[in-house]
Amino acid sequence: MSGRLSRRAAASADVVALGYRVLVLVVLVAGLAFANDAFLTQSNLLNVLRQASLVFLIASGLTLVILTAGLDLSVGANVGLSACIAATVMKATGSVALAFLAGFGVGAVIGLGNGLMVTFMRLPPFIATYGTMWMLTGVTYWFMGGQTIHGFSPGFRSLGSGYLFGLPVPIYLMFAFLFAGGAFTRYSVLGQEVYAIGANAEAARLSGVPVRTRLVMVYILSGAMAGIAALVYVARLNSAEADIGEALTLPALAAVLIGGTSLFGGVGSLSGTLVGALILTLVLNGMNLLTINANWQPFITGVIVLLSVWIDMVTRQRAEARA
Amino acid sequence: MKCSKPWVIAVSAAFAGSLAAGMAHADGEKIAVFTKNQTNPYFQTVRTATDIAAKSMNATTIHYVPTKPDSIPEQMSQIEDAITKKPDAIVFIPVDFKAMVPGVNKMNAANIPVVNVTDRSQGGNLVSFVGTDDYSLGLGVARHMLKKMGGQGNVIIIEGVKGALSSVERVRGFQKALAEFPGVKLLASQPANYQRLQALQVMENLMQSFPKIDGVLAANDPMALGAVEALEGANRKALAVGINGSREAVEAIKTGKLLASGDPNAFVQGCIGTMAAIRHLRKLSVPRELVFPADVVDSTNYKSREIPENQRSCPKWEDVVKS
Repeated sequence: MSGRLSRRAAASADVVALGYRVLVLVVLVAGLAFANDAFLTQSNLLNVLRQASLVFLIASGLTLVILTAGLDLSVGANVGLSACIAATVMKATGSVALAFLAGFGVGAVIGLGNGLMVTFMRLPPFIATYGTMWMLTGVTYWFMGGQTIHGFSPGFRSLGSGYLFGLPVPIYLMFAFLFAGGAFTRYSVLGQEVYAIGANAEAARLSGVPVRTRLVMVYILSGAMAGIAALVYVARLNSAEADIGEALTLPALAAVLIGGTSLFGGVGSLSGTLVGALILTLVLNGMNLLTINANWQPFITGVIVLLSVWIDMVTRQRAEARA
Repeated sequence: MKCSKPWVIAVSAAFAGSLAAGMAHADGEKIAVFTKNQTNPYFQTVRTATDIAAKSMNATTIHYVPTKPDSIPEQMSQIEDAITKKPDAIVFIPVDFKAMVPGVNKMNAANIPVVNVTDRSQGGNLVSFVGTDDYSLGLGVARHMLKKMGGQGNVIIIEGVKGALSSVERVRGFQKALAEFPGVKLLASQPANYQRLQALQVMENLMQSFPKIDGVLAANDPMALGAVEALEGANRKALAVGINGSREAVEAIKTGKLLASGDPNAFVQGCIGTMAAIRHLRKLSVPRELVFPADVVDSTNYKSREIPENQRSCPKWEDVVKS
């Protein structure tokens, strides 16, 4: 899609697209601040950031995959299995380090599986990760047998519910991954190759990008991020159950899409995804604060996703016409 | 699931049959048991209880559980599978009380007697309904908490899935109890879709706009425990109750995190449902309706729930069913 755009036109369209989102965010914040006194307080803003950080952790890995014109529908189920295995390891050994390795490792291995299916088996990413989602769900139910693992050490729990210099720990994680990921995608050769593959895989291959290896890499990263998110979830909820990841995939995908990353690949950014995660979180937060019944939250999410993708298409077409 | 080889059943049935010659029944009935999912420990308890009840009456069970939790199409196709295997009777928990009526009609058309357990089917021909109604569960556990609050203070309701009969009825029970305590103020009633994480976030959001919350009425245990995590995270205290009487809730009651849980007594429902099916096959009397009163688990009676399910035995039919 954007392969045909000149670099400058594409870059300016990116800025415009991100500008729209920040504008939506500002309007949302201003509206909520006007409507409710409790909204614009330090404690609520930290609350919103902490809630958004969970979505962002999953959505950040997913963003990389979508940048290559891929898709990872298994992230939620990945969180489920990684969480349950990490929790089991935690209970069995009492070691935070081993639990961390287990969660991270399981997530990454699942990502590797997805990557191999997409590259060497040449399965469409939608199908490969959709199949993985079902398999993981089945394995997780079997593994847990209807039980819940709960009650963890305060040390481990601080990963999800602790504070550092007055700020919740997950917020640090979110910004750490935002900056690391941002630097990786913007300034490293690997990151540029990710965009290049998404823009035009064939052109990238001809110019010497090892497309398969890079694709496997992004799926591993997406899986590993799900594994890390799983640890934060368990630490935050103080429990792990088989359905922990069930309701996570689609909100993460919504955050990526609202954030302006195109499903066709090559266009988008992690900062966009952060804005997307914040918008999603604010919708629920706002409805709760205003005590509007939150049953309308899915509807509003749908409207925002459609609007933001549509605005992207329009701004890009205009940029293309001007170029 | 666990099921002995068909020929073993046949032989043992024939053997038992010859022993029981002249009696009104033959042993070895095959009972198909339908439950909603593999994730909720409640249904695991029901399944264990059906196995124990069937074994005690020399019958066998076959379990049908959707791999995707509460999936309507999957339970429908499982009904079709079950009918081709010709079980003697069916113990049936519909994944949806309205949508599964055609499924009950199919079982009726195949002339297989159906005992409906837990969630009352809106239609179809049923031997009996065995369950506790959600309304009295909500009412019972809410009354318990409001009494403990001395009839004073601010309360929040966390609803399940909007439109799900269980949630609608439980919340109706909560509201009825609130009407009995005019000194208690309902601050907000928000859905969290029976999910722990959503309940945690909804509670975090509500705590922003309500500085004083004294009690939380949650439509299931995971949501109640999610709310408790949110309260602890903010160093705030409130009484909280859930519904299910799950093992995790019992432990939380023991440590004082949770005040109480409305217990639908899954174990007794599984036992009595299976016994009703077998009794019907053996031409013994079965009432059309077996609705138990709500049971509230709290710090005074949690000990009886700590015995592992597979070591419990079913109550005697005559003790539960007063003719």
